[in-house]
Amino acid sequence: MNNNSNKMFFLFILFFSTLISISSNSWFGCWIGLEINLLSFIPLISNSKNLLSVETSLKYFLTQSLASINFLFMILIKFSLLKNFNMNNIISIMMNSSLLMKMGSAPFHFWFPNIVEGLSWMNNFMLMTWQKISPMILLSYYFNKNFLIFMIIMNLIIGSLGGLNQTSLRKLLAFSSINNLGWMIFSIMISENLWLFYFLIYSMMISMMISLFFLMNMYFMNQLFINNMNFFIKLNLLINFLSLGGLPPFMGFMPKWIIINFLLINKFYFLIFIFMMTSLIIIYYYIRIIYSSFMFNYFKMKWVNLLMKNNMSLINLSSFISISSMILSTFIFM
Amino acid sequence: MLIYDIRFLFIYMFFVGNLIFVSKNKHLLVVLLSLEFIVLSIFFFFLVLLMFIDYDMYMLMVFLVFSVCEGSLGLSILVSMIRSHGNDYFQSFSML
Repeated sequence: MNNNSNKMFFLFILFFSTLISISSNSWFGCWIGLEINLLSFIPLISNSKNLLSVETSLKYFLTQSLASINFLFMILIKFSLLKNFNMNNIISIMMNSSLLMKMGSAPFHFWFPNIVEGLSWMNNFMLMTWQKISPMILLSYYFNKNFLIFMIIMNLIIGSLGGLNQTSLRKLLAFSSINNLGWMIFSIMISENLWLFYFLIYSMMISMMISLFFLMNMYFMNQLFINNMNFFIKLNLLINFLSLGGLPPFMGFMPKWIIINFLLINKFYFLIFIFMMTSLIIIYYYIRIIYSSFMFNYFKMKWVNLLMKNNMSLINLSSFISISSMILSTFIFM
Repeated sequence: MLIYDIRFLFIYMFFVGNLIFVSKNKHLLVVLLSLEFIVLSIFFFFLVLLMFIDYDMYMLMVFLVFSVCEGSLGLSILVSMIRSHGNDYFQSFSML
């Protein structure tokens, strides 16, 4: 029943809804964009032949509809009390809370790993990248700085500590996404341009990882070391994971570097400490996965061959971009 | 209950609707009904706010259309859940 023309239709409306939300002149237009986003994402993820996907779409609908209806109520309260200029009050806390709930950010993140567990990789990619755009940009219009810094700290800690006990790759990437949300919320408080830079690089890295997992049909960690993978696939996995964690020669270090630079110049020393330490925990559990994938002696089974569905050239290109882009980007200014 | 200002009524309705939404219920339909109750409170609030702009109620109609779409989406998910699980009890959520 789900054929491609349905998905194309709803994908088009999904893209359009984000554009409506971020380019509207009033808060009501933003709310309309968020509603259309919900209305068009639910048919993409619900597949009525499957118990798991019904539960997933139900949980997604309940949290997102609650968040958007609370958002609208807070917009009306803001309109009726005429609080348009001072951004550090309780109304901005409530509006930011409802937007953080839509994104899956820290105190309201409990639905996010559950739903990510129930979706396929392509739907996960949509959920982790595109669905974050419009709440982030709406967050930048009316944010409460102290509240958001507290939320950033919670995001980082929960994203790093929550992924330690996971064996499912989807939940691992979900907690990694929550951690990266902390970085992204801070970058949108600095400047929207920096957020765009971080978001583009983050979505590029996530797309490389998710396409690799999708091609090899991998959903759990034991599939990484049981199967008979090519060495270059494992190397590509290593490069992508380390790039996502933010290690220096890879592409993922660049946006984090710029944010750390800003933090140091403006003397946010405690925040730098938390950013660094939680990144360390995240890199620890990435390396734990890759370590097991490289070092364990896998079963060489005669009757199961891990076929690559497409050719390797795109994956090799993505590894090359991950390794070299930070150094090549310095050549732009020559 | 003493109402000094009409805004207290909307905030009270909104909080009661949220409270029922987050409470432990037996059926999913109660949750969807509480969502509609919140929508009703916002509808009332919107009406009173727009009365100060010389009866320009067009935004209210747009809001109503979108809330009805959202409510019908919730009902369709309820139907999908009943088709697969057999009932709409919250105790039948066991997979996630």
